[in-house]
Amino acid sequence: MSTDTPAVILESVSKWYGEVIGVNDVSLAIDGGVTGVLGPNGAGKSTMFKLLLGRLRPSQGEVRLFGTDPWESTAPFRRVGYVSETEPLYEWMTGLDFVSTMARLHGMTREEATNRAEHVLDFVGLSDVRHKEVGKYSKGMRQRVKIAHALVHDPDLIILDEPLHGCDPLARTSIMSVIRELGNRGKTVIVSSHILEEIERITEQIVILHNGRLLALGNLHAIRGLLDKHPHRILIETESPRELAEAFISRDPVYGVRFPNPGFLEIQTSNLSAAHSILPQVIVDSGIRVRSVENPDDNLDSLLGYLVGGD
Amino acid sequence: MDSQGRGLSESVWTSLDRKAGAVVELTVRQLRNKVSTWAVLGLGTLLMVLLLVFYIDSVRDGFESIDNDGDSFDMDNDGYPMGQEWKYGTSDWDGESFPGSGNFIFQGQIDWNDPDRTVSGNKTWEGQAILNASWIDYDYTGGTWSNIIDWETYESNDCDEGAPFEDWWLPYASSCLQEDGTYAFNGRVRASGQLYVPEGSYLSWGIFTEVFYVEPDPPEMYIDEDGIDWAEGASGSQGFDDDGDCFRIGWITGDDWWEYQHEPDANRNGIPCDVVWAVDPVTGEVISIDPDDYVDEDPVDEEYAGESSHRAFVIASGKIAFVLLLGLFLPLFLALGLVRDETERGTLHYLLSKPIHRGEFIFYRVLGYMAVVSSFVIVLALLMALITSLIGPGDDLIRFGDFPVWVGIAAATILVLAAYGSLFNTIGLIMPKYGVYLCIIIGVWEFAMGFTSLFAPESSVTFLSISHWGLQMVDATVLAAWPDTLQYSQMSEAFGIDTGLQWIWKPPVHTLGTGNPYISIVTSITFLSIISGVLISMGSAIFRRKEIM
Repeated sequence: MSTDTPAVILESVSKWYGEVIGVNDVSLAIDGGVTGVLGPNGAGKSTMFKLLLGRLRPSQGEVRLFGTDPWESTAPFRRVGYVSETEPLYEWMTGLDFVSTMARLHGMTREEATNRAEHVLDFVGLSDVRHKEVGKYSKGMRQRVKIAHALVHDPDLIILDEPLHGCDPLARTSIMSVIRELGNRGKTVIVSSHILEEIERITEQIVILHNGRLLALGNLHAIRGLLDKHPHRILIETESPRELAEAFISRDPVYGVRFPNPGFLEIQTSNLSAAHSILPQVIVDSGIRVRSVENPDDNLDSLLGYLVGGD
Repeated sequence: MDSQGRGLSESVWTSLDRKAGAVVELTVRQLRNKVSTWAVLGLGTLLMVLLLVFYIDSVRDGFESIDNDGDSFDMDNDGYPMGQEWKYGTSDWDGESFPGSGNFIFQGQIDWNDPDRTVSGNKTWEGQAILNASWIDYDYTGGTWSNIIDWETYESNDCDEGAPFEDWWLPYASSCLQEDGTYAFNGRVRASGQLYVPEGSYLSWGIFTEVFYVEPDPPEMYIDEDGIDWAEGASGSQGFDDDGDCFRIGWITGDDWWEYQHEPDANRNGIPCDVVWAVDPVTGEVISIDPDDYVDEDPVDEEYAGESSHRAFVIASGKIAFVLLLGLFLPLFLALGLVRDETERGTLHYLLSKPIHRGEFIFYRVLGYMAVVSSFVIVLALLMALITSLIGPGDDLIRFGDFPVWVGIAAATILVLAAYGSLFNTIGLIMPKYGVYLCIIIGVWEFAMGFTSLFAPESSVTFLSISHWGLQMVDATVLAAWPDTLQYSQMSEAFGIDTGLQWIWKPPVHTLGTGNPYISIVTSITFLSIISGVLISMGSAIFRRKEIM
């Protein structure tokens, strides 16, 4: 297998389930580094992964995994690690047992498999609990043991479907650092999520899917920059919203204020970063106490709204 | 090819081996972690234990002598066993008829139409008449049941007014005294004198042979009294009617249609009371035994029944408990969900995202299931073999001759398990939800065909079942390991030795006309292997083209 073929190529790939469209005319190539696949639930992220893993056959177009059609051949799976979004595990197995069994399915000997399993469990931070049954693991540990099983054969491409879903903040942080570390080691990593903030903390390279279509592809900051020029809201919780409104209304990026609830001030701006840069100074100058500042529009929904609607 | 090429092919093969080993091992461990596995294996073991208890119980009782022809019984309670009554030609249904009771010899009658209605003499009379007696044997007394006039309770029973048998009627076995000193009677009486038979009445008469005392034989005399008389290995007319119940003519009382008609030449070879044996001139094995009625029909049971019963037990266990019950229920619980359960639980993708061909995967999965059920069947069969060969009949401490049969039973069961396992696994793939119902329907069919194969293995509709071929393999192994089973089976059938061997075992059918059991074994193995292979290939082909959500 030549190393210069991109890990993942989708060419005009569509997948229908009867009347329902899973993926619609998606073309992309992914190779090297960490790529975030963003999209709300039902956007087609999992369908895309299942096409990549040869579990589904494309209705149209071509899928290539290291240059090979994964529906026809299992050969590319030698170089792929996959962490599914599904929960179930072999609950009766210990972590080490599970990971080493999965390693043996790659053709390793028992000793090789055990050594590799010990190694990756250490890498994901589970070496302490490797002799404990998977059924007794916490949610975060379960996610990490799934990641370990996907890494045990040292793959070049790692696909993680919603790896942070349902994890507590501590687990999230450790999983994110594992993913970043994999990227740093030169692996191709594809991570899906429906939460913008999560992806933002992992990578800048993103693919946005919506209703099965490829909406955007590229650097998150560039996409975010587009978003910043878009009308945005900043919600400030304060004791005297009207006085604070006076201080803001005269400033340039702010074009409007609203009082959605008692004790709240909503600032409307067309340049979010400019607004954020003046925000601290204005508050300090006004001498008014502020309890919290929130960006209600800084999420995937509004990003999608912008990308889809264009207004 | 250079050493590098060899190295490459070796590494491909060994890593395939490792993957296969890993899938098989995972499957075995998964099955071990399922409660239903232990439940169904436990039930299988329990079944065998029950069979063994039954077997040990019957062996401990020993093979008691059985009165195969039933002639040791005394049906009419006259103190003489049936066999003794047959010898004397008396009836075992009539308590008044027994050895030494005297035979009635018919001499004459006056029926309803005869014009001359008077007769005289010293006879035994029976019917309705008016007797002017010079002598009456008052000791010849009976009752309604025997129709002999009851003189014991008779005192002076005066007749009613009017003409007897015209104005009034007497009950059976009674008599009355008329005013003129004559007796009117209805029944049997022994007397001398003149008799008048009224119009419309009937009287017959004759003489009784002398009554003498015969010592009743002990019933044991009529058990195992007619052994099998056969010059070992000889064909043709054999046998001897030791107890004389075939040669005895007329020992069955009455000619009524419901009474057994004695047939001294039932085998129609022109020689009465013999047994026709057919022996294969090549193998020296008995092919058929065709006896006349009541010849060699009560042999010593210990000699024949012990061995026959033991074989019948081994064959019945093998065919019903192993091939039919274990063969069907183990895969129903363990094979149906081999791949389906993984899909339903959502753990399948761990296995499918590995570089293992899906077709291979199915094969390894079935292999894992086979590892579990085969070892179970082998252990059970060995256990059964050990226990039954230790306590079975015979002079040796262990019946080593039984072991090939048990090996055959285990092999047949394993092949059947492979065929059903492949079938049910494939059904689970095609119909994850309702497959179990289809499997149950198939199970019913297989049971029906299996039981039909027990009794009519040659019926060709049974060829369309898996169980038929498994049962045939057991039958064939039995014949190969115990060639004289045919003889025992024929003996059981011909001489009424009630061991069940003739029901549970039939000669194998698929010998391609040769009668050679090894050909039947090969045919069955080939057929079952082809079924398994085709079904696994079908499952693989379906699974390869199946989209998995």
